[in-house]
Amino acid sequence: MSRRRAIWLVARRELLERGRSRAFLLSLILSVGIIVAGVFLPTLIGSGPGSQHLGVVGSPPSGLVPGLAASAKAVGLVLRVESVSDLPTGEARLRDDSLEALLVVPPDGSTPTYIVKTRGNGLLQQVVAASFTTPPQIAFRELEAADPDRDTSFLFANVGVILLFISIFSFGTWVLTGVVEEKQSRVVEVVLSTIEPRDLLIGKVLGIGVLGLAQLVVMVTVGLSAGVAGGRFSLPPTTGSTVAMLFVWFILGYAFYSTALGVLGALASRMEEASNASSPVSFIAMGGYFFALIVALNDPAGTAARIASFIPPVAPMVVPLRAALGAIEPWEIIGSAAFMVAAIWALFVVGGRVYSGAVLQTGARLRLRDAWRASGRG
Amino acid sequence: MLEITDLSKRYGSVVALDGATFSVRPGRLVGFLGPNGAGKTTTMRCVFGLVRPDHGTITWQGRPIDRTHRLRFGYMPEQRGLYPRMKVADQLSYFAQQHGLPATTARAATARWLDGLGLADRAGAKLEALSHGNQQRVQLGAALVHDPVLLVLDEPFSGLDPLGIATMSGILRERAAAGVAVVFSSHQLDLVEDLCEDVVIVNRGRIAAAGAIDDLRAASARRHLEVEVVGNGNAWLDGRPDLTIVEQRGDFARLIAPADLDLAGVLSAASAAGPVRRFAFQPPTLSELFMDLVQA
Repeated sequence: MSRRRAIWLVARRELLERGRSRAFLLSLILSVGIIVAGVFLPTLIGSGPGSQHLGVVGSPPSGLVPGLAASAKAVGLVLRVESVSDLPTGEARLRDDSLEALLVVPPDGSTPTYIVKTRGNGLLQQVVAASFTTPPQIAFRELEAADPDRDTSFLFANVGVILLFISIFSFGTWVLTGVVEEKQSRVVEVVLSTIEPRDLLIGKVLGIGVLGLAQLVVMVTVGLSAGVAGGRFSLPPTTGSTVAMLFVWFILGYAFYSTALGVLGALASRMEEASNASSPVSFIAMGGYFFALIVALNDPAGTAARIASFIPPVAPMVVPLRAALGAIEPWEIIGSAAFMVAAIWALFVVGGRVYSGAVLQTGARLRLRDAWRASGRG
Repeated sequence: MLEITDLSKRYGSVVALDGATFSVRPGRLVGFLGPNGAGKTTTMRCVFGLVRPDHGTITWQGRPIDRTHRLRFGYMPEQRGLYPRMKVADQLSYFAQQHGLPATTARAATARWLDGLGLADRAGAKLEALSHGNQQRVQLGAALVHDPVLLVLDEPFSGLDPLGIATMSGILRERAAAGVAVVFSSHQLDLVEDLCEDVVIVNRGRIAAAGAIDDLRAASARRHLEVEVVGNGNAWLDGRPDLTIVEQRGDFARLIAPADLDLAGVLSAASAAGPVRRFAFQPPTLSELFMDLVQA
């Protein structure tokens, strides 16, 4: 029997046994819940009460400010009006988001202008417009042309990172627990009497990976359908490539993390030790996740994000995010993926040997070095 | 034939195997005996490539064992274990396929063995739902489902009740009769003596004795003599330095004697002392042989 068939049998067992399990069903339901919340929650939070700052340049007609306050209160808007010295100051404050809108009232009594940074808060605009009842009522201006796809890209980037992290880490953890379960139940000795340890690890990573990919497909499909059906966004032309990047980087990130976790799982003899053994990898994954959401999302083309794209444990979260925001060069994607594949290969060569040495040892938790030396088949 | 030649393995400063050599022929049931830590499990693990020996060779039909051979071997490790949440039939079918059987053949073999092991009604149950004894049967099934030509079992009788021991013995006998080379380790020496023709006794990593049980017993330099002379109180034994008394109780005595004892002379001496009610001259039992070898 070929090695390939042995790997296929292991992968199929994982797929069937885990795919039918209650744990997978729960994970699917939970992840669909998270994705729907991820799509709609920002809208709900964004439209909630919060104080709006309106800057005013020039002298508004008497009674305008109290009138604004009253009508804002009537629609549930907390409005703070402040006087701004001149137009450039006001525009600068719009850009740094310390003002939501700027009302410019020319001293000569000509048409006042309502300025926002981009597509503004519709409610505030209505409140202000309603206060100018005599023609030529009011003019509107935006500092930056409204780009509805920009918000959508931002949302996709944001939700994409969360999806990747959840998928990579939860299914990577399944590999970890799967390895420990086989050790703990002692079945591994029977299994390894016919299969090479490396093939067992490959099969396990593949089988669970297919489940992870299936869940990701469900999450993306549900997320996009819900967003479109619920009027949250319309699909920008880049949707296809963003989704493709998500899948590619799930596969790369999952292959990397699940292999690392599987190898570390082999060092533990019991489930309680497994989380201990895997904590270094968990820390690195969490670090990459927060780096992506805090640093890379803010400045996707910055030096930090560019360097991180070439650090394999972090790249799976950073590269698809930068791609979704259109802030990455094609060569960076290719180079980063090549680094990632090389890292996975190296991890598999080194980790495969550690796994082989450790997976049959029971008793106290093993150290990496001992497992490397104990490798029975080299 | 399984041939193990000059097998050595060290774990740091601990010597697990030190030049072990023996063989197991098809159709023979071989008991693999030795105190704990003698090297039995290490030897078995070497056969399945789970431990790489430092030195020595293991061959099957004259060829070094590789993965292809192992697909036709069956193994029951000392530390039992299967997938707890997997259904019994799925589990056996999985192991059969891992041994190279096509899916349909694997399912048929699974059904046949579950029937044979009396587990046909539990085919759809998860392993963890089975009693301890039934889990042991499934474990045996996992070693047998692919019809191996070599069966290696590490302590197959440990933890079995008398009924389980009878079932296990029956299956091992039946497999050997079908031409399978069977080797199993055990501490139940009386059971081994009943069941096996051949034994291999390993002590501190070395083979202390190997061969047919009857030959090993016959080759021993000592014999056990049991005599009962009515009314004499063993007084007739005085002045016999060639007979060592192991146990005496009234007129009964159990003695150790050399194999070349002048039996006729001893019998006539006993008869002269009084009516002889019992007179048995036997080679040592396997247990006695074992104790001699491992305590030496």
